[in-house]
Amino acid sequence: MARIIAKKDLASWLEELLKEHTVIAPTSVGEFTLFRPIITPEEIALDFDNTVLSPKEWFFPRAESLFTRDGGAEEPVPQPIDKLVIFGIRPCDAKGLTVLDKTLYSTPFDALYTQRRNQATLIGLACSKPGPQCFCTTMGSAPDDASNVDIMLTEVDDGYIVETVTEKGKALIAGALLSESKSPPPQVASPAVIEGITEEMPESARERYWSRLADRCLHCHICAFVCPTCYCTQDRQYDSQGRVEQLRCWYSCQGQGFTRIGGYTPNPTKTDRMRHRFYHKLPHFPDTQGSGYATCVGCGRCVTACPVNIDIREVIADTKQRQPV
Amino acid sequence: MIQQIKDKAKELLDSGAVSCVIGYERASDGLTARPLFVYETEDVEKLIFDETCTHNLVKYLLNIKDKPTAIVVKPCDARALNVLLGEKQHQREKVNIIGEACPGVVETSWNKKGDDLEARCQVCTQHTPPIYDFLVGEPIEEPSPPSTFSDVADFEGKSAAERASFWAEQFERCIRCYACRNVCPGCYCTECQVEQVNPEWVSIRLTPEENLMWHVMRAFHLAGRCIGCKECERVCPVNIPLSLLNRKLQQEVLALFDFQAGIDEDTPAPLATFKKDEKLGIGEWHE
Repeated sequence: MARIIAKKDLASWLEELLKEHTVIAPTSVGEFTLFRPIITPEEIALDFDNTVLSPKEWFFPRAESLFTRDGGAEEPVPQPIDKLVIFGIRPCDAKGLTVLDKTLYSTPFDALYTQRRNQATLIGLACSKPGPQCFCTTMGSAPDDASNVDIMLTEVDDGYIVETVTEKGKALIAGALLSESKSPPPQVASPAVIEGITEEMPESARERYWSRLADRCLHCHICAFVCPTCYCTQDRQYDSQGRVEQLRCWYSCQGQGFTRIGGYTPNPTKTDRMRHRFYHKLPHFPDTQGSGYATCVGCGRCVTACPVNIDIREVIADTKQRQPV
Repeated sequence: MIQQIKDKAKELLDSGAVSCVIGYERASDGLTARPLFVYETEDVEKLIFDETCTHNLVKYLLNIKDKPTAIVVKPCDARALNVLLGEKQHQREKVNIIGEACPGVVETSWNKKGDDLEARCQVCTQHTPPIYDFLVGEPIEEPSPPSTFSDVADFEGKSAAERASFWAEQFERCIRCYACRNVCPGCYCTECQVEQVNPEWVSIRLTPEENLMWHVMRAFHLAGRCIGCKECERVCPVNIPLSLLNRKLQQEVLALFDFQAGIDEDTPAPLATFKKDEKLGIGEWHE
């Protein structure tokens, strides 16, 4: 029998957590739902497909200071935040963090990201209804995939079914009031798997395919910035009266100067960059790391946000480039 | 009407007059529109035109300066084309303009389509493109110009503190994806000021102040050049009402110079010209 937490008990548990943790949860900001720190559980808005921006910004901020150097001595990297709870993270976004870990939480470790990941407990929220943009099942996940969170909640009539996944999750849930569930476990509607073509695109057709797709690209940075797994950055140094600060912010492979080094740009055209993006999102990790992971998790944010409707689901269908399922 | 576009596109491609026709096709949601580049006549059938064709396609001409290209434009898009022609960013003989008589478009985003005309279309005074080679549909009788800056007036009715906090809240969300810049037909610098590092005008620090700097700079660079297609606002992934800044400057330029961008190809833009007798003192136009 599954354990369940009643809705009112969830609120009091969160109030307890708020005493010792920074709790980041989906909240209404204007007409959007965004992951923001909350002060009381009442601020949480749970009526959402998914948030406009992924919760990756709480581990890998849009812009942050890496270090400062005053005169000769380097000052230590600032310790980021105290204990962090991400409440209501969707399975796709949680998988996104696992994907980010492959780059930022492995040698060479990204100090700030690693610290935040160690400090954080993820409380997942299973999706009851997939959005029209969702395709997590195509990318090897599912609306109720609990494999990347510490605790998974699934909404039922009388509360939330609680699945404790990790030791970290177990420690966190210890203070909550749980009971045996009377509700049957809900049936989760899964997005259909994108089948597409069965043959790989012939070499000869590829250049034309990417060039035609790139025609309408505006080379803005939206797709990369809303993506839960994009991690490219640009750095700048700020020098003020001998005090130097190294700042890093998000960057996108669609930008004109992407990976420009000493005047050389390896991906000078929109076509090059378009192909680069989709290869990186789809076959690149399985090809180079031998794992089943594609870096796309199927959240569909880029599908919704792209102003000219460059739709990764169509690319998957057209090129048969996705992870083996 | 759509048949006229298809026929024209086919004719232009078949005759070799253009190598590409830029128009609209149905988006992947089956509901809204997206840009389409037609190179082969068999793709002509994909072309559509309806109230969801919000995109200003003129921006794409800047990528295809060398080859003759045909483009489907609404009246507002045609004004953007006039601005580019006036600023010598495109050659008139390289572009074949398929103008649409346009009753207005609705607000769209992926898988969403509004019921009402966009606010800008409700006060639009130009339903026939000011420049075209081939007009689709019948010229629509121009309605009498209503007061078009009520949104600016409403906003200016607020106190300075209210306005500052409104923008601070809006710009806090900005992620500097630069979609507003990249979609804008008026933004075509090879190196944008925001990307210059020596000197650095805008920091990569994403504070509301730096974001404000970026957006105000963007708006000022479009003063007297913005034609009000509102693409910046449509593409913004975090829905910042950017066009309000542009509209304020449009209003100022209209009051100062009696000028609206893109109405014709020849009138020089006020901020790109100097007349001996023009008033230079700031604020004199209020007299």
